[in-house]
Order: sequence, then C-alpha cells, then structure tokens
Amino acid sequence: MTEALEWLQFVLAPQMINGLSIGVAVVLMALGLTIIFGLLDVINMAHGEFYAIGAYLAVALLGLGLSFWWALALTPMLMAVLGYATERGLIQRVFHSKDRHTLTLLLTFGLAIVLEDVLKIIFGANPLRVETPITGGSELFGLFFPNYRLFVMVAGGLLIAAVWVLVFRTSLGAIVRAAAFDRHMSASLGVPVSRVYAATFAFGVALAGLAGVLLAPIYSVFPTMGRDFVLIAFSVVIIGGMGSIKGAVLAGLLLTQVQSISSLFISPVWNDPLLFGIMVLVLMWRPRGLFGKLGHA
Amino acid sequence: MPDKQLNPARVPDALRLFSLLFFAGALVFALVATLVGDVFFLRLATEALIFGGLALSVDLLLGRVGLLPLGQALFFGLGAYVSALVLKEWQASFWLSLVVSLLASALAGLVGGIIAIRSKGVYFALISFGLAQVVSKVVFNTRELGASDGIIGVPGAVVVPGLDSTAPTGFFLVTLAVIFLIYLGLRYLMDTPFGRQLSAIRTNEDRVPFLGFDPWRYKLLAFVGAACIAGVSGALYPMLRGFVSPELMFFQVSGNAVINVIVGGAGTLIGPLYGSALLTGLRSVVGSFTAHHQIIIGLLFVVVVIMFPRGLIGYLTPLLQRRLEARRSRHQQGEQ
Repeated sequence: MTEALEWLQFVLAPQMINGLSIGVAVVLMALGLTIIFGLLDVINMAHGEFYAIGAYLAVALLGLGLSFWWALALTPMLMAVLGYATERGLIQRVFHSKDRHTLTLLLTFGLAIVLEDVLKIIFGANPLRVETPITGGSELFGLFFPNYRLFVMVAGGLLIAAVWVLVFRTSLGAIVRAAAFDRHMSASLGVPVSRVYAATFAFGVALAGLAGVLLAPIYSVFPTMGRDFVLIAFSVVIIGGMGSIKGAVLAGLLLTQVQSISSLFISPVWNDPLLFGIMVLVLMWRPRGLFGKLGHA
Repeated sequence: MPDKQLNPARVPDALRLFSLLFFAGALVFALVATLVGDVFFLRLATEALIFGGLALSVDLLLGRVGLLPLGQALFFGLGAYVSALVLKEWQASFWLSLVVSLLASALAGLVGGIIAIRSKGVYFALISFGLAQVVSKVVFNTRELGASDGIIGVPGAVVVPGLDSTAPTGFFLVTLAVIFLIYLGLRYLMDTPFGRQLSAIRTNEDRVPFLGFDPWRYKLLAFVGAACIAGVSGALYPMLRGFVSPELMFFQVSGNAVINVIVGGAGTLIGPLYGSALLTGLRSVVGSFTAHHQIIIGLLFVVVVIMFPRGLIGYLTPLLQRRLEARRSRHQQGEQ
C-alpha cells in the first residue's frame, strides 16, 4: 500500500506536472491553429515555423541586451505584425479561389520551407540556448520542481483563460465568432471581415510565437524545433475538432498527459505512434473531432 | 471530329504533345549523355525520373481524386527499404525486388487507406502526414533496419544478364521504361469507367452515392494504386544509389513530391514529371552554389501557387491547344 502511494507521489505526480507544463504550451500552439482554421478555413502549415521564429526573436532580443521579460512582452507584438503581413500579403491572394483549402495549405507549406531556411541563414543550424530567467526550484507535494516550469504552467494557464475570455466574453470575440459563423451576414452588419481575418491570423501567429518564447529556456532553440511540436498541436486540433477552442484545450491537456504518463511504461520512441493511434480512433468514432467548429455552438 | 464533343474527357492534343516531348527528350538526353561519356547527369536524371514516379502517385490522388497526400514518402520509403533488403539479403534481382516491393506497398496502401480514406479534405492531408511521420520515426529507431544510418552497400540489381543497375545509361533507360509504363497505365486508367468515377468524386463526392456508386471503394482503390506507384518508384532508388536511409520517408520527400506536382501542373499527369525533372535539376544546380537552395524552391513554389495555381503544364496546355486548333482550322479552310 505505501509502495503504491510512494509510486503515485514520486513517479506519477512529477511526470504529470511536467506533462502539464508542456501541455499548456501545446494548447497555446493548438489554440492559434484552431482559431485560424475556425475563422479562415486555413490550415497553417507554417505554424511550427512561427513557433520557432518566436523563440529566435527571444534569442535576438536577449542578444540586444533586453531582459527575458521584455522579450516575452515584445515577441508576441512583433509576431502579430508578421502574421498580419502574411495574411494580407500572401493568404488573401488565394483566399477567394475555389480550391481555397488546398491552396492556402500549400501556400503556408511553401512559406514554412522559406522561413526555415531564413532562420538557418540568420542564426545558423546549431542549437542555441536561452538562459532560464527564473532559477532555483520549489517544493510541491514533497517534490522538487524547477521554478521556471511552474511559471510556464501558471503563465500558460492564465493566457489560455485570457484567450477564452477574449473569444467568448468580449464584443471583439463576438465579432470574430460572427464572422466565422456567417461572413456575408457579418459583412452586411458592418463588420470589416477582411481586417478581422488578418487580425485573427495575426493573433494565432502571436500565440505560436509566445509558446516559442515560453519554451525557449526549457528546450534549445534550432531552426526545425517547430516540426515535432506542430505535429502534436495538429493531432490536438484534429482530436478536439478543427476550430473548437474547448476541444483544443481539453485534447491538448489530455494528450500531453497520456504522453507523459505512457512514457513511464513504454519507450518514448512509441510516443508518436500512440498519439496517432488515439487520433485515428477518435476520428473513427467522430470524424469531425470531439467538438464542433468556432461560431457553431 | 464528332467524337470530341461526345467525350469531353479526351486528352487534349497539346497534352499529348507535351508527353511526347518529355519522353522523346529523355531519349535524346540519354543518347547525348552517353556519347559525351557523362555519368553525373545521367544519374541525376535517373533520380529525377524516380521522384517523378512518386510525383505521379501524388498526382493520382491530388489531381484526380482531389485528396492532398502529405505523406506519400511513406510508401516510397517502404518500397526503397523492401527493395534494398531483397537485393542485399535475398537475391540481387531487379524483377524480384520490384515485385516484392509492389506487394508490400499494396498491402501498406490497403492498411493506410482504410485509416486515411475515412477522412476528407484537410483531415486526409493531416492524417497522411501523421502516418508517414509515425512510420518514419519507428524506422529511424529500429536498429534492425540500420536506424538513422539506413541500409548501405546495396548491390546493383540485375535486370537481364549483362545489364545491372550500376550501368548509368542502361539503368536510366530501364527507369524511363518503368515510369513510361506507369504513365501510360494511368493515362489509360483515366479513360476507363474507374477513372471517370474518380473525376466524379473530385467534382462532387456527395452526389456519387446517388448515382449508385460507393465513393469509398473507388477512393480506396486509388489510394492503393498510388501506394503501389510510389512503392515501385521507391524500389528503384536503392538500385540507383546503393543505399536507403530513413530520410526517404521524411516529410521533406513527401513535400517535395507535392511541390513537383503543383509546379508541373496537378491533374495533367505529365506535368508532375516535368516538375520533377525541372526541380531536381534546379536543386542540384542551386545546391552546388549554396546550401540554402530550399529558400529558392520555396519561393518558386509560393509564386506558382499564387500566380499559376494550375502549374506549368496546366498553364501552357490551353495556350498550345488554341494554337493547334487555329492552325488546324486554317488548314481546313485552305482545303476548301
């Protein structure tokens, strides 16, 4: 009996809390993806690269002598500008064609290739490290945790809550949801739909960049860092239902828990197959994911 | 020609001309390269053809059924691994490894298809992407398959006694023949009721059941067919290069195949072969100047998607067709 309790306390609990700190970052990524899809019907294949750019912006800003907190505050703003420009300059151009789904997917895929190489040219292919801004650790449930991981968890949780409030409890969010539900009706009611599109894309990109900065001190920063991460985020969005905020949060937290708990029993090599197996099972049961689209309930 | 009005799916003359130009050009290239004693470009062209086969399999799904596969490298890599294993461990026979790779990729295509075909549109794209990602990770971590190193030292495959895959010209021609047969097969298939079903599914899948057909079965068949084409193309790779590595299954390969198809012209079948030849050449040329050739390919791709979404051949075919028809009507008027 005590053995089981000790196992719960010293093996399972730390694993779950570590999983939670990754989970909030995954949810931030998935929220950006799902909001962009929910409103624009665009699969942003460059989302992982935007995540990487966020991390590199933090590296660059730290290199300029700014503190990590300035980098954390400035990066999302710079990323939003980049996202706004991307939507206006590239995605708008193919947005009104018949094969919008495929074309925008291909376009962001091409963008991902270019961005990755740009990062390699500017920063080199070798991994860079970002100093942890909060050192030391704290005791929690008789266990030791790095303070920075706890900070990521709290900050990420607050951000997710803020996104939720913004989308569901403010008039700005109502405009976005209305545009997602019926763009022609919203346009005739005076909503500047195309600007809402660009701003929403910018918001999603900013969230990806923010996730990049938050995780930069935990993982190292390298040009392809977004690739594996975005695969998890895509699975989360598919399982949760494309365009569903509720789905992204729930599926994101659940999946990262499954991953971190399962790695106690099976080799981490099997992490991705496990994740994918869950995705396939959910899709067989509910082909459109767990929850509906943005603006539709 | 009354037949033309009755049969709107008939291949336009311009497209025939483009395919004739491609295969005739390949033969001329082989002749010239052999006469000047070149090896490097023959090998590169063979590789372009092999990736052209992968592009054909992507075009079958993307251009004909309207499904965007982002993980077609899975079947390409599978074919390459199976072929390498057969050549190295069993018998260095071209035919044996081709047949075994074909069977393996058909089986994998059936399993993958049952998983992926359930979903439509972007869901299909992401699931095929995920499938390939997962399998490539597993291969990357399997020590029996050489893990990250892959399988090296694959012997040349004997096509007929006296000709094996280490002969640059000989193997180029063998590869050209394989790709030509695949191309002809696909062209023929598109003219059969099966091909028409696929077009119907691409145009409006929801209406197909009302005509009394089950779209699922046709999509699955197309998926298995595409897997077979990718697998056979992949089987040629270790014969050419003498090794396989997990990179063959990575997203880069799947992505490049999609780029080849889009740049060449999705749905034209010959376009992907042009795209593959063009971009493999471009990668090699630009790659000899800078390590950052991806940025140029990526920019080219973005420009094509925005400005010419029908691709090179898709853009040129109507232009050439109009020319041909204008000339023909001039001739007819002259005769009268």
